[in-house]
Amino acid sequence: MEVENGEGQVQVRLKTKQEHFAIPDVPYTVEGSVTTAELNTFVNTLLEQAALNNSEYKAPIEFDFIVFDEYLRGRLCDHIREKEFSFEDTIDIEYVERFPAPEPQDCLLHDDWVSAVKACDKWILTGCYDNTINIWTVKGKHVLTIPGHTQPLKAVAWISVDDQRGKFVSCSQDQTAMLWEWLVGTNSVECVSICKGHERGIDCVDVSPNKTKLATGSWDTMLKIWSAEINEGCEGTFKRQKESGATRVPDITLQGHRECISSVQWMDAETVLTGSWDHTLKIWDLHLEGIKSEISSNKSIFDASYSKLNRLIITASADKNLRLYDPRTNQGNLVRNTYFGHSQWVQTVMWSSTEEYLFISGSYDNQNKLWDYRSPKAPLYDLLGHGDKVLDIDWSNPKYIVSGGADNTVRVFKSRKVMVPEPTDDTK
Amino acid sequence: MAKKQVKRKATDFVDKKKLKDSEIKSTEDDEEEQDLQEDLLQKISNEDNDSSDDEGTEQIYQSDDSDELEFESDEEGNYASKWDEGVGSENSGDEEAESDDEEQEGSDDEEEEDSDDEDEDEINDSDIEDISDDEVSDEETNLKERNLPKSKKSDGNIKKNGLEASTSANAKKELELQKVKTSEALNDFKEELKDPNNTLVVPSKKEEYADSDTSDEEDIRNTVGNIPMHWYDEYKHIGYDWDAKKIIKPSKGDQIDDFLRKIEDPDFWRSVKDPQTGQEVVLTDADIELIKRINSARVPNPEHNEYEPWIEWFTNEVERMPIKNVPDHKRSFLPSSSERKKVSRMIHALKMGWMKTMEEVEREKKEARGPKFYMLWETDTSREHMRRIHDPVSAPKRDLPGHAESYNPPPEYIFDEKERKEWLKLKDEPHKRKLHFMPQKYNSLREVPAYPRYIRERFMRCLDLYLCPRARRTKLNIDAEYLIPKLPSPKDLQPFPTVESLVYRGHTDLVRTVSVEPKGEYIVSGSDDKTVKIWEIATGRCIRTIETDDVVRCVAWCPNAKLSIIAVAAGNRLLLINPKVGDKLLIKKTDDLLAEAPQNDTMESERIKTAVQWSVAEKEEQEKGVRLVITHFKPIQQVTWHGRGDYVATVMPEGANRSALIHQLSKRRSQIPFSKSKGLIQCVLFHPIKPCFFVATQHNVRIYDLVKQELIKKLLTNSKWISGMSIHPKGDNLLVSTYDKKMLWFDLDLSTKPYQTLRLHKNAVRNVAFHLRYPLFASASDDLSVIVSHGMVYNDLLQNPLIVPVKKLQTHEAREEFGVLDVAWHPVQPWVFSSGADATIRLYT
Repeated sequence: MEVENGEGQVQVRLKTKQEHFAIPDVPYTVEGSVTTAELNTFVNTLLEQAALNNSEYKAPIEFDFIVFDEYLRGRLCDHIREKEFSFEDTIDIEYVERFPAPEPQDCLLHDDWVSAVKACDKWILTGCYDNTINIWTVKGKHVLTIPGHTQPLKAVAWISVDDQRGKFVSCSQDQTAMLWEWLVGTNSVECVSICKGHERGIDCVDVSPNKTKLATGSWDTMLKIWSAEINEGCEGTFKRQKESGATRVPDITLQGHRECISSVQWMDAETVLTGSWDHTLKIWDLHLEGIKSEISSNKSIFDASYSKLNRLIITASADKNLRLYDPRTNQGNLVRNTYFGHSQWVQTVMWSSTEEYLFISGSYDNQNKLWDYRSPKAPLYDLLGHGDKVLDIDWSNPKYIVSGGADNTVRVFKSRKVMVPEPTDDTK
Repeated sequence: MAKKQVKRKATDFVDKKKLKDSEIKSTEDDEEEQDLQEDLLQKISNEDNDSSDDEGTEQIYQSDDSDELEFESDEEGNYASKWDEGVGSENSGDEEAESDDEEQEGSDDEEEEDSDDEDEDEINDSDIEDISDDEVSDEETNLKERNLPKSKKSDGNIKKNGLEASTSANAKKELELQKVKTSEALNDFKEELKDPNNTLVVPSKKEEYADSDTSDEEDIRNTVGNIPMHWYDEYKHIGYDWDAKKIIKPSKGDQIDDFLRKIEDPDFWRSVKDPQTGQEVVLTDADIELIKRINSARVPNPEHNEYEPWIEWFTNEVERMPIKNVPDHKRSFLPSSSERKKVSRMIHALKMGWMKTMEEVEREKKEARGPKFYMLWETDTSREHMRRIHDPVSAPKRDLPGHAESYNPPPEYIFDEKERKEWLKLKDEPHKRKLHFMPQKYNSLREVPAYPRYIRERFMRCLDLYLCPRARRTKLNIDAEYLIPKLPSPKDLQPFPTVESLVYRGHTDLVRTVSVEPKGEYIVSGSDDKTVKIWEIATGRCIRTIETDDVVRCVAWCPNAKLSIIAVAAGNRLLLINPKVGDKLLIKKTDDLLAEAPQNDTMESERIKTAVQWSVAEKEEQEKGVRLVITHFKPIQQVTWHGRGDYVATVMPEGANRSALIHQLSKRRSQIPFSKSKGLIQCVLFHPIKPCFFVATQHNVRIYDLVKQELIKKLLTNSKWISGMSIHPKGDNLLVSTYDKKMLWFDLDLSTKPYQTLRLHKNAVRNVAFHLRYPLFASASDDLSVIVSHGMVYNDLLQNPLIVPVKKLQTHEAREEFGVLDVAWHPVQPWVFSSGADATIRLYT
């Protein structure tokens, strides 16, 4: 067929959900071999014509085109053929404003490998292989170095931060998690308590949405839930009050994984998602203190991220691919999509907290990649900069993408996307 | 038949001639005639009897006669002419003097005779038809000759008054003639007058013609034909003559009349009754003589000379000059193809046993007669005795000569200096030469000398033929693919490591050994840079570096997860190191365990004491993590743990009969299990379940029972140098790697010989390792590759292990001809670690 070879024409209908970019809803006939760039010009021309009336339109805007729920990356005809849709129907093309490319903003130098990063507001918390925790501002100013652990840090997490004080937790291979209180004004930090209970190094930590609990996963295959309260008040039991201060013990210990738990994330106040080297994702219900559901894959999972916006799980495992799981289905093919692009193990992955479709990944091939989950073939952007393995990446602050790597640096990329004035999820 | 006929004709002719002659010399013959007449007296009676008997043959003869006619009409001319010539010459030979007058007549005469002959034949035919009388048929054999006597008689009649007749038929006719007509002479004369043509011809000839004509006309013939004459018995007549008048039967006398006639008539004995006419016929003397001759089985013609000189018309002598000039036909000198086909068909039949030679038939008969024996062990399908026939082995063929063999080969075939040297170099092993001779150039064929090696080469050829295998090698016509066992595709055997995922860099010299923590979070490596490094697997981070004072030849992480000990073989010392990674509690417990020295109540023998000294590490080393030091008297090559983690075995190849040692940590005791060394011990291994101890010497692997302290089994590797071994976690299969590029899989239940020999590597195999959980094993080799194989061991004892090489991982770099030195599996994941001479450790997932 000539259309399939790119010689014929197809009817398309251009749509958008962004109303200020709307164009008349009439079918157009375009060449089968049309690409994104040509469509972009076409839409911009249409917009320009429309703008003559209301003069809202200013400059050409970059659009991306979504055909059959997937980004158009090559020729339209190839895309349609791949999706096995008819060439004769009118094809709906949704165009969205292209996510602007993040800009590398800063490089925070450390003394050793940076294995954990977490950003909150303007603060960046990093965990380092030289057993220290560092606090930076997003502007690149080093605020504090906190020694305390006896072995390399593996994970850090902000519990809360405001102008006066910040609270955060750090986990290390020395089998402990430490709760810290940081007084911003005096720039002094105090270890509020040490969570002891894991029998091997703690690999991951996450703070519950209501900031009252911690979940840690460790090499001893245990998932432990701890209290994140610092000023032990009314809620704490008598026993816990007595013990807290110096050390604290886990509220709940959940056993179920057979290998190291490599990632943990709260899905809501009572549900925790864990990913493990034993090739499974488990969703734990803390009320039941048991496993709610389980997703098996065939590779060790290094990191998993759950998006509250689209309720999907993206995982990084012991291969070069990222996989998208839908936890709500429990039959059929659980892997909704596979994202190819990295050339080495992907060590870390995280959903955007504001953009429904976007996530970032950091890999041992020294690259971070920004993905749209509708575009499995190619990432939106490659964030270059690291000179060695990327060990952790964070996009908690929607404005900044922060990644730490084995090149002893933390790279900060500024996301130029104009924030939709709406409270971000991680502040909940 | 035809020839015979011709011959007879010829004789007739001769007779005719003779008769002519006899005309001339008639006077001489008279005496003979008288003798004949006497003879005839007895014969006539016989003649009567015989006549009826001969009827059958007569008829046949008649039919033959017609054949003759046809034949004669075809070829008579030729033969007749020949015969004429022959007769002519004979005649001339016989009676040169007398037949001058005849010769005068010349060829005309002869021609006339020819035509005469033909005419007479025709007449004969008519005669036969005419003569319906049975009596006449008696003499049919001489029907032909009847003509001759006729002519003779006619001649004779002229010259001797009609008494001479050679044939009986003629005689009868003449008798009739005599009876009907008063005188023949008168008759003849009449004919002569009648015939106007004959006036000019010689009178004798004329008479001859006239005779034959008149005899027909004046014959009173019975016209009834050839019917049984008894039909006329009741009538007075006996038939009708030419004029359709009744022929009245002659009056029949009674006995007395007969008797009287017998007395009175002197011719009674020679009178015969003609059955057709009923007339009495008196036979002439000539008739009687003829009858006589026939009875005595002589030639009827008395003139006939049986002993005439033989004229070889067709000579058997080879002519000096060929008669004909026609070249020989091709088929006269070509072998006949039809014959060849026939012969080949017969040969084939002989081969197939359808046809048998006389000898074979004879032999079979003989065998059938004798006792029968059966070959009990011969299979029904054996056809060896027919093999030579059905499937002969043809002699090996020699190559046809090429340009190189030429006496004047093209210049490119003539050896240059290099080729010549090479040719000469291979003097001791001539079969390796490309050509068995050196091409020589001669300007002309005549300059070529005698071939000096002729005799030898003939001899070698004979040897070849003599020694060539008699049995034909059956070529397997099977697809090679078919013979390869059906192996599952590697895709179905996943998971197994396929790509290099991480490189652990940090060592500065070749990394000899690598070992994985039982939990799978860390690995430890030992290098020639005298350090031991502990790495975090997931990130490739070197957690700790422990320096030793000698090359680290082997490291082994204690397989017991409750202990945190690494055994490091560095030079002469075995270091027991607490790596201080993992569970802190365990680290502490281990430290405590190693710190307290147990009470040693048993006295150690001198042999052990001189070999091994236990000691607690110095303070410096304590800080590095070293807890105990076991100093050996020789460098340690290998160290291996027992599964429980209490025993550790070391190997010192130079230690002679104390080269293998087993140390017990809890008691801080050493044992030397073997009092004698069975060879250069390469490596040792504890059985994962049973109290067994594997000891690999250079060539063999011995399995000892540690409880009973005896040898259980000796595995024969048939290799030169064992490099390492690994036991399947279930304990029934042992994998041995050798420096001669092989891996040997021993199924300990099956045999002492390898179940399978894997030749996957191109260079020495350094080490092999089984995965603890997955059915995988990996081998490290100096060819820079790590080969991962699927090695499934089934619980079913009947099913043999399935071994499928699945992946070759080749990312290590070469350094001083060393490749990959050690290989170790992750305890849980299907990941394999390899340490190489390029100072790296690589993780493949």
